[in-house]
Formats: sequence, C-alpha cells, structure tokens
Amino acid sequence: MASRSLQLTLNGKSVDPADIPDDLLMIDYLHEYKNLTGSRLGCGQGICHACVVIVDNPDGTSEEVRTCITGAHYFAGKRVRTIEGHAIRDEEGKVSQLNPIQQRFVDEFAFQCSYCAPGFVNAATVLVEKLQRQPVAKSQLEKVVEDSLGHHICRCTGYVRYFSATRNVLTELGLVREG
Amino acid sequence: MKHPLLRTAMAVGLAASGVFAHAETQVERGEYLTRAADCMACHTAKGGAPYAGGLPIDSPFGTIYGTNITPSKDHGIGLYNDDEFFAALNEGIRRDGANLYPAMPYTSYHRVTREDSDAIHAYLKTVEPIERAAPETSLGFPFNVRMGITAWNLLYGDGVPLESAEGKSEAWQRGQYLVDVLGHCGECHTPRGMTGAMQPDKRMMGAVLGGYLAPSLLANDLAERGWNQDDLSSFLKLGMSDQGAMFNEMYPVFHNSTQYLADPDLNAIATFLLGEQPPEAKVLTEVALDELSTSAQRGRQQYLNVCAGCHAVSGEGKPHIAVAMRGNTTLRLDDPRNLLRVIEDGIDEQQFTGFERMQPMPGFADKLDQQELTDLLNYLRQTWGGTDSDLALADVQALQQEAGSE
Repeated sequence: MASRSLQLTLNGKSVDPADIPDDLLMIDYLHEYKNLTGSRLGCGQGICHACVVIVDNPDGTSEEVRTCITGAHYFAGKRVRTIEGHAIRDEEGKVSQLNPIQQRFVDEFAFQCSYCAPGFVNAATVLVEKLQRQPVAKSQLEKVVEDSLGHHICRCTGYVRYFSATRNVLTELGLVREG
Repeated sequence: MKHPLLRTAMAVGLAASGVFAHAETQVERGEYLTRAADCMACHTAKGGAPYAGGLPIDSPFGTIYGTNITPSKDHGIGLYNDDEFFAALNEGIRRDGANLYPAMPYTSYHRVTREDSDAIHAYLKTVEPIERAAPETSLGFPFNVRMGITAWNLLYGDGVPLESAEGKSEAWQRGQYLVDVLGHCGECHTPRGMTGAMQPDKRMMGAVLGGYLAPSLLANDLAERGWNQDDLSSFLKLGMSDQGAMFNEMYPVFHNSTQYLADPDLNAIATFLLGEQPPEAKVLTEVALDELSTSAQRGRQQYLNVCAGCHAVSGEGKPHIAVAMRGNTTLRLDDPRNLLRVIEDGIDEQQFTGFERMQPMPGFADKLDQQELTDLLNYLRQTWGGTDSDLALADVQALQQEAGSE
C-alpha cells in the first residue's frame, strides 16, 4: 500500500509530517504511531463510539469523530484532541488535575470497567463546549444530554451515572439556565 | 412426506393462482394481495396503526395524506360494500361519488380483477378498526377541485397501456400483473408528464422522485447494471443481493410488500422484467488505479478516509455492516445522483429478513467539500461502476442545486 505524508495537530502540539500508509485507520495511527492508546477499539464498525476523538473546527466548534472507521489522512491539517489531552499535567508529564468531566465521572463512579469512558468523556466535553457557546434551558437538559451521549454504548450499562454526572457537571459549570 | 397427489395439487394450485399454497380462504388471499399491492406504504403513517392513514405524500401539487382504510365506519371504509370498494380501487371513485386524488394509484389498479378486489376488501374488513380521522388533504387551487380530476381521468384513468401478453408464458403474465397492476411499480419508475400522469411512451424508463432516481427497469438496463433473474428475485425477497441492499423508497416497499411474496411470484416478476429470454447480466472487472482519471485517483484517498472503514479497502463490504462497492448496482447508474445523495445524506439502520441488518451509514455532507465529493464519485464509478465518465465539479454542483430546490 502506498503512503503519503501526514501532518496534524494532536492535543495542542503540531506533529511533524511523517510517512503514513494511505489506508491506515486513525485508531491504529494513534495506537501504533503515537502511542496514544486511550482511544478504545470497541466494535470496529462505528457503532459503540468508544474510539471517538474530538476535532476542533476552524469556526471554533468541536465535534466527535469515530477513529475506528475513519482514515488517519482524513485528519490531515486538522486539530485533534484525544482522551490523553484533557487533564493538566505537571512538568514531569504526570496528571495533576483532571478536567471537570473526568473529575465528575470519578467522583460519581460513573464508569465501571472503563472501556467506554474515553468516548463518554469526549462526548461530554464536546457538549460542554457547545453549551459554553449557547447555554441550555433546564427543561431541555435531559434531552440535550441524551442527544449528545445517547449514541455511546456502555456494556456495563452505566448510563444512569454517566448521564447524571454530565447533568451535574453542566449545572456546576453554569451552563444550564432557568427555563 | 406429503402424499404425491397432494403435492401435485399444491403445485397446480401455485401455478394457477400464483399465491401461497396455504392462502386458502378469501381473507388469506386478500392479505397476500394487500401485501402485493403495498397498500400499507401510503395508508400507514410512520409508527402509526396499520392502514389507519396519515402518511404525508408530497406531490408537485401539494401534500396528500394517506387515508384510513380500516373498517371504521366513521373514519375508515367500514361502510363500503364490494362494489364501492372496487370503484375506489379501479376508478378512483370514493363511496360518496367524489374523485380520489391520483396519488391513489388507481390508474395502475385499474386492471385489478374483481375477484382480487373483493379478496383485498375481505381482508381489510378484518383489520382492527381505528376510530381516528387521518389528516385532511388540502391542496391549493385549482388542485383542490376534485371535479377537475374527472377530466384527468378521461385522459389517464386507464393508466399506461400494458404490453401485449400474446404468446407470453403464464409466469410472464403473472409478473406483468404483479409489476404493472398490483405492485404499481410504474408509479415511481415511469416518468410523469406535466399533468402528473405516467408517460405511456416512457414506461419503466426511470424517473426522479424526491431527489432520488427510481432507476429504469427495462430489461437491457437491468442487465447492464448486473441483474439476472435469480438475483432480482432474491433482492425482492431478502432486500439485498450481490448488487447491494434496498434503500430510500424501495426499503419500505421491500419491508411492507416484496418480502412477503411467494417464490413463484418473485420469479414471475423477474421473468416479466428481464423477459423470457433475458439479456446476459454484464459482469464488470475492477479498473486499476492508474487507469482512472486524475480526479478519480484523488478520490481514492477520500474513499480510504471515510468509506473503507466499513466498505473495505478493496470494496468487498462487510457482512451485516455495509454493502459491497464491488458489483454494486447503484455505482453503475449513468445518473450519479443516487450515489451522491447517499454519500451526503447517509442511510438509517435497516432491518432485513431474519436477523439480517445493515448498520446506519453516516452522511458526509459536512465532511467532504464539493471537489472531494466529485473525486469520490469518480473513484467509485470508474473503479467499480464500469463507466469512464468523469464528472466535473459543476456536475455535482448542479445536482446539489437541483436537490436543494425541491
């Protein structure tokens, strides 16, 4: 298989162009070339969403993209965040502070086996960023969480705590208005 | 093992009636014929009670709602007798004498036999009556004047004339009845003129409907797109074959109608459509990358980026997930609009017979720009579609504009 140069931004850092096979899937690129193994390969067919990363669009919006069905070269020139990019790290590279969603998921024991957790964290992060642009009315909170997280599959069936933790963190961050 | 005499009797019965061997009563026959005529498609709203109406049908003249045809006396057809039902089915005349809008395919049903009409009516009398009115159709002037339809009926009420059945086999004739009359396939696959009537000289030549092409069902065109009789009848039975899976408007047709047809009837349909001496199905070989146009060669990377994860690098697809691109009939249509629409809009998850399903296909309208879409279309069509036509950016833009203006 032929290869071509790939350049992208990963977790805020520009990745030097490297020769990457034309048909390499993004999840394999992250795992095998960048040693970023936090994005999980679940179903491998774009259904479970355990593999999603966040793409930051030029217009300031962010979105989830499934890496198990999307080629690495789709991300050429794009800004990508993976689960490894959310927490604040100290000078030695150790995690010193989780992002508010990760912390809330830990506090509320939202995940069980954790296989789906990176996907849920990314989905909830995208939701936080969306609501930072446009807060949601309280009456719509349940629906907006369902719409944003509902396509993620948790085989331990931990949905109640994921959804509850997400509602709580959105409220805590001041992203829910009365109404 | 069944008694030989019984088996013979069943075989004769099948050949004669073309319906299920177990469809012994009039109601059972009626149920089968109701499926074959796909009454469900228009007379059941999405998620609604069977035959209770309410499905909005977009027409160039306005939105027409499928009516309640359950035996409700107030809201359905509970007061119809067999004569009145036959008049509605064959002539488009309502019980109160008013004309039905020709969204009801009575120009196709015009040749439904009286016996079959009575059986369908007998079956519909057994479904649960739903005491709820379907939304009233209200078209703008002049289309709201039902009297105007009388003149239209004088011109088109007999429907598109059927091809002569002289010298044709029983299977062919049965196929014609299923395709042209009960199945009313021409209502989508035959182009319509300015008045909304099917054009007799363009029978089954393909028509654009809701932004998608209902492709030509002419024998040579089907064969050109890779269809043989076995694949065609199994496509109708299972909703999928080597040529792809049902989507868009054909998916509910499969779901409500064709999957229930007995094998002899499916074979009859294939015999009628492809003819008694069917043209040989064209087999394509994959075209190598270096033989493709520059645009198509660029398109390969788009394919690898967003398609190959499910449809596979070599286009063989994945069972129960995504159809193969290799051999896919949609790639072989001259008109690229179906391929473009599917790539842009995606397809919802679809269930087929048994446990078979195809998972949802995402839409890529916001993932690929117009040039990338053009390149991808060229890659797919030139590699697996047997065409050397190279679409230009303007072709794709024109199709998008057409879709947007509907």
